[in-house]
Amino acid sequence: MRSPNGEPRIVGFLCNWCAYQGADLAGTSRMHYPANVRVVRVMCTGRIDPTFVLKAFAEGADGVLVAGCHAGDCHYKEGNYKTMRRVALLRKMLDQMGIEPERFRLEWVSAGEGAKWAKVVKEMTAELQALGPLAWWENVREA
Amino acid sequence: MQVQALALRRNSVDTDGPMVTQVLNPYKEAVDIVKELGGDDLKLCYQCGLCSGLCPWNLVKNFIVRKLIHQVQLGLVDFESDELWMCATCGACVQRCPRGVNIIDIMKALRRTVVELGIAPIPDSMRITLKNVSGTGNPWGEPTERRAKWSEGLNIKTFSAGTEFLYYPCCLICYDPSVTRMGRALTTVLQKAGVDFGILGAQEACCGESVRKAGNEELFQSLVEGNTGVWRANGVKKILVSSPHCYYTLKNEYPLAEQGIEVLHTTELLAKLIREGKLKLTKPIEKKVAYHDPCYLGRHSDIYDEPREILGSIPGLELIELPGNHADSLCCGGGGGRIWMESKVGERFAEVRTQQAIDAGAEVVAVACPYCLLCFESCVQPGMIERAPEIKAIEELVAEAM
Amino acid sequence: MENDRRIGVYICHCGTNIAGTVDIEELTEYARHLPGVVVVRDYKFVCSEPGQNLIKEDIRELGLNRVVVAACSPRMHEPTFRRAVAQAGLNPYLLQIANIREQCSWVHEDGNTDKAKALVNAAAQKAYYLEPRDTREVPVNPSVLVIGGGIAGIQAALKIADATHKVYLVEREPSIGGRMIQLDKTFPTLDCSSCILTPKMASVASHPFVELMTYSEVVDVSGYVGNFRVKIRRNPRYVDESICTGCGICIQKCPWKTDSEFDMGLGKRKAIYTPFPQAVPNIPVIDTETCVYFKKGTCRACELFCEPKAIDFQQTERFEEIEVGAIIVATGYDVFDPSPIYQYGYKRLDNVVTSLEFERMCSATGPTGGEVVLKSGEAPTSVAIIHCVGSRDQNYFEYCSRVCCMYALKFAHLVKEKTEADVYQIYMDMRAYGKGFEEFYRRVSDEGVNFVRGKVAEITDQALTDEERGKLIVACEDTLLGRLVRIPVDMVVLCPAMKARADAAEMARLMNISRGADGFFLERHPKLEPISTNTDGVFVVGCAQGPKDIPDTVAQASAGAAEALALIDAGKVEVEAITAAVNEELCSGCKVCIGLCPYNAITFSEEKKVVEISDVLCKGCGVCVAACPAGAIIGRHFTDTQIFAEIEGILADARPPVAAI
Repeated sequence: MRSPNGEPRIVGFLCNWCAYQGADLAGTSRMHYPANVRVVRVMCTGRIDPTFVLKAFAEGADGVLVAGCHAGDCHYKEGNYKTMRRVALLRKMLDQMGIEPERFRLEWVSAGEGAKWAKVVKEMTAELQALGPLAWWENVREA
Repeated sequence: MQVQALALRRNSVDTDGPMVTQVLNPYKEAVDIVKELGGDDLKLCYQCGLCSGLCPWNLVKNFIVRKLIHQVQLGLVDFESDELWMCATCGACVQRCPRGVNIIDIMKALRRTVVELGIAPIPDSMRITLKNVSGTGNPWGEPTERRAKWSEGLNIKTFSAGTEFLYYPCCLICYDPSVTRMGRALTTVLQKAGVDFGILGAQEACCGESVRKAGNEELFQSLVEGNTGVWRANGVKKILVSSPHCYYTLKNEYPLAEQGIEVLHTTELLAKLIREGKLKLTKPIEKKVAYHDPCYLGRHSDIYDEPREILGSIPGLELIELPGNHADSLCCGGGGGRIWMESKVGERFAEVRTQQAIDAGAEVVAVACPYCLLCFESCVQPGMIERAPEIKAIEELVAEAM
Repeated sequence: MENDRRIGVYICHCGTNIAGTVDIEELTEYARHLPGVVVVRDYKFVCSEPGQNLIKEDIRELGLNRVVVAACSPRMHEPTFRRAVAQAGLNPYLLQIANIREQCSWVHEDGNTDKAKALVNAAAQKAYYLEPRDTREVPVNPSVLVIGGGIAGIQAALKIADATHKVYLVEREPSIGGRMIQLDKTFPTLDCSSCILTPKMASVASHPFVELMTYSEVVDVSGYVGNFRVKIRRNPRYVDESICTGCGICIQKCPWKTDSEFDMGLGKRKAIYTPFPQAVPNIPVIDTETCVYFKKGTCRACELFCEPKAIDFQQTERFEEIEVGAIIVATGYDVFDPSPIYQYGYKRLDNVVTSLEFERMCSATGPTGGEVVLKSGEAPTSVAIIHCVGSRDQNYFEYCSRVCCMYALKFAHLVKEKTEADVYQIYMDMRAYGKGFEEFYRRVSDEGVNFVRGKVAEITDQALTDEERGKLIVACEDTLLGRLVRIPVDMVVLCPAMKARADAAEMARLMNISRGADGFFLERHPKLEPISTNTDGVFVVGCAQGPKDIPDTVAQASAGAAEALALIDAGKVEVEAITAAVNEELCSGCKVCIGLCPYNAITFSEEKKVVEISDVLCKGCGVCVAACPAGAIIGRHFTDTQIFAEIEGILADARPPVAAI
C-alpha cells in the first residue's frame, strides 16, 4: 500500500558518529524538515552493503539517502572513503536498472551539522516530489 | 574633555516636539505584508546599526537605516515617508551585515507594499517613470521607434540568427544625450576588433532593474516576458550589455541561463579581446585615471579585475585607486531607481566621490556604468566644482587608445 | 524455544515532547499487531524509575525476550535501558530503540504518527532477530594524558595527580601557562592573573605524579578507552633539560633578538629564551630561525657562558610512546586576527591594537612595563574599546565569544587607573551574565565610562574637522541616539573573537572526535555530557570546547579530571561488543577484507585457509562485512538479516503490491 498522500518515502542509512548525531542535533535544535525520511542507523557508512540500498528500493522506497562523516573525519579512519568507492559502482547499477540518479544521494553530515541534515532532507524530498513515485512494479512487464 | 563634551552636545538628538509615550501595538498585518513581499529577513535584524554607519546617505544627510528596519519589525513604519525611497540598493550594508539581512530586499518589499497596495503615494518622479516604462518601454516616455536612434551613422547591423552578440544598450545609452557616447565608443571599438554584433532596437524595452527596485513587480515581470520573448524569437545566444544594472538583472533575474543565453558585460568582453590580442591599445593616454567600481558590477556581480585590466593595458595611463575601492566602493547614487528621482545639489553621493577623486589627484574618473556616467556628469558641470576631473566611460578610453 | 519471540514495546510520551505531536494511543494500538509483540505499554517518562520498572516487571513476569523502547535517541538512553533489561536478567543486547523524539516528534510538522509507526515497526522487526552478546571488560591503564598546559590543562592535571594518578601533561610551547599567563588582571575581581596562576604552574612542575612534557606535541594516538597508546614528539630545545640550572646567563649573553610571541610582537626576546620570566620549566629553548649558529654556524655565546655545559646544538627531535587510560584535550583557542576587517584598520593604522596586545601592555612584566602608551610613547587622552570584532557576525564567527564584554570593562578600568584618558565602550549588547559580572559593570560605569551602543562601521585616520586631526576616528551609529557619530580617540582596542585552534581539525582527527559547526570540539551531549566526546575515554575541557571565561574553564577542567578519574578508578571498562566474526565455512580465504580493516584486526590463518578476526582489535565498523564477497563475515548487532528486517519494517506502509525478485 502506498502512503495515503502519495508522499515519497526516503530511507536514510546514517553512520552512528556523524550523520546520526547531526540528525539528532537537528532534533534538539527543533529544526523542521519533512517526515519523509526514515533512518536506519549503522555504525559506519562502510557497513552499507549495496544490497541494503537495493532492498530499500525493492521494499517501496522512492529514494535512498546515505549520510556519513566528512572526508577525513570517519570515526573508523577511512570507512567513508570505502563508501565513496562503493557508491560509484552502485550508481552505475541503479542507472542500468532505470532508477533516476536523484533517487540515490550520498551526503557528508558532521555531528555539528544539524542544519545541513535538515536542508538535505528538505531538498531531497522536494526533488522526489517533483519526480513522482518510483513504483517500479508498475513498470515491470509480465514475463 | 571640555571640547569633546561640547562636540557631543552638538551632536545630540533633536526631538520633534514633546515626548509622548506610545502604546506599542505592533501592526501585524503590515509586518506580514512586507515579509510576504520579500522582506522576510527583517526578523533577523538585531539593531546593531552597522547599516546606518555604512549607508552612503549619511555622508550627505541623515538616513538611519536601522531605525527604519526597527519600525518595520513592529509594523510602525510610515509608508508615506520619503525614507522608503532613499535606498540606492548599493549593497554596502548587505555585504557586511552581521546577521546576513538582505536590507535591499526589505527596501524593495516596502516599495512593493506601497506600489501594489496603493497605501501611500509614490513620489511623483518615480510614478511618472514607471508609467513611461509601462507605456513606451523607456523611463522618459520617448517613442519606442527612437530606441536605435543613438546608433545613427554607425552602421550597426540588425541582429539576426547567427550573429555572435546581441548588444543590448541601457535605456540611458539609447535616449540620454550625455550617455549615448558610451554606446558609440563601444561600437567603434567592437567594429575595429572585428566583433560580430547586432542590435534589436525598438523590439526591446527597458530591462526593468529600476522598476523592480521601485516595487513594481508586475511591470518588471511583463518586461522580462517581452524582452525574453524577443531574444528567443531572434535566436539570441550571447547578450552584451554596457550597464551593470542590465547585467545583474539579466544574469540573476531573467530566465536566460536555462535557455542557454549567456550575458556578458562590456568590460568582460574588452578584457578578453585585449588578452587574445584582438584589440591592440597603442596610443598612449598620459593621465592619472581613477577607476570607480560600480555597485552592480563590483559588489553585486563580483567583477573587479577586468576593468582594471583594460585600463592597465592602455599605454601611459596611470591607474590610481580611490579611497573606497573594489567591494568598498562608494555608490554614485543612481541605483535602486534613484537615477529617476531628484537628488538635491549638496546631497549627491557622486559629489562626495568626485571630491575623493580630486583629492586623490585623478585627472580622469573612468566609469563602467551608464548610471555612474550620468551621476558624475551632473556633478562636474562647469562652475560646480573646481579642478573637476573628466568623466570617461572605459569604452571611450579604449577607443581613444586604439 | 529459540524462535519463540516475546517482544515488549514501551512507548514514551516524554511529557509532551513526544506525546505533543505523536498520537500515542494510535501508535500503541499499531504496535500490538507487530510480529512477536506480546505487550505494548506507554508511559509518561519510560526512562524514569517507574518507567524502567515496567520493563523489568514484564521481563520477569511475561517472560519477554526482546525489548523495544520508542523514545529519544539511542545516543541518549540506550545505556540506561540496557542496564535496566540486564537488571531483569535479559541480555542487554536484546534491546532496540526507536528514535521517535529527536528524529520524529521534534522535527516534523505533520506525518509524525505515521513515521513513528514505521520507526517502531522497524525496531520491532530488528529486535526479532537480535542476538545476545557478552559484554567484555578490559583492564584500564591508570595514567592520564592531558594535552595543553593552559589553565584548563593545569587544573585537570593537578586534580588527577592529587588523586595519586600519573599524569602526562603535554604542552606545545616552551612553557606552560597558556593564554591566562598572558593576561594582566582577571575580571570581575581584578586579581592579578600571574599571581593566581604561577603557584599552580609551580605545583605542576614539582608534583611527583605529573610528568611535564613541554615543547612537545602529540603526533599519534591508537588503542581504545582504557588503553590508549600515544606517541609524543619532543622538539629539541638545544638545551639539556637534565643539566640546565635555569640561571639565565645564556639569555643575558645572547646578542640576537626577534619579536616576542608572548608579548604579541610588542616586545623583543632573544634567540635563546624563555617566553616569560616565570616560565615553567625554567629552561630556555633556542629558536633556530633567529640563532646565528643555526643560520651561519657562528656565535655560540650561550655555549661559551653556560657553566653546566647544558647547551647542545646537536639535539634532535625525539619520540616517546606512553600508555594511558584516558585523554583530556585542553588545547585552548586562537584569537581571531582582525586584519581581514579592512575598515577596522588593524595592522594598517597605528594605535589600533587587539585585546591580547593591550593585555601585554597593561602587564607589569610586559613590553611597556605596564604603561598604556601610544606608539609615540605618549599616554592616550582617549581610548575606544570595540566589542564583538568578528563575534556575533555571520561573515566571521556567528557565536558570542562570551568574555569580551567583561574584559572590555576591565580594560576601561585599567585605562582609567593608568591614564587620564576618556574611555568609550562601543558595544552591541552588554552581556554580564556571570557571578559578580553585573556588579562589575556597575562599578566600571561608576568610574565614568562612555557607553555607545552600535556596531562600528569604520575606524579611520581621515579627519573631517580640526578636532579629528591626528586622531583615530571611530564611526558608527549610536543606536540609542539614532545618529551617526564620529568619535575621535588616540587608541582603539579591538576585542576579537575567540576561535578554534588553527589545527583543531588535525587534533580532532588524531583524537577521533568531532567538531561543531563553530569549529570547536564537540561534546557528546550539549547538556548532560558536556565533557565527554564521541570517543570513549577522550574528554574535552576549556576553550577547546567553546569560548569561556576562567572560572568556567577551571570548573570544566575539574569536571574533566573527575571523568577521567571515574574511568581509571574503576580499574576496568566495558569495551565494544559489537564486533565482526567470520563464518569459517563460508570464508573462501580471498583476503579482500584484510586490506580494508583500519585496525589490522583481520589475519589469515595459513592452517585453516580462512581469515580470523581479533575480538580485541575489532571496533565493529562493519566495513569488512559489507565487502566480503562470500557473505562470510557477520557484523554482530548489525547483521544483514537484522538490517533487512529493519528496512522491511521502516517501509511497512509503502510495501509494493508484488515482491521484487
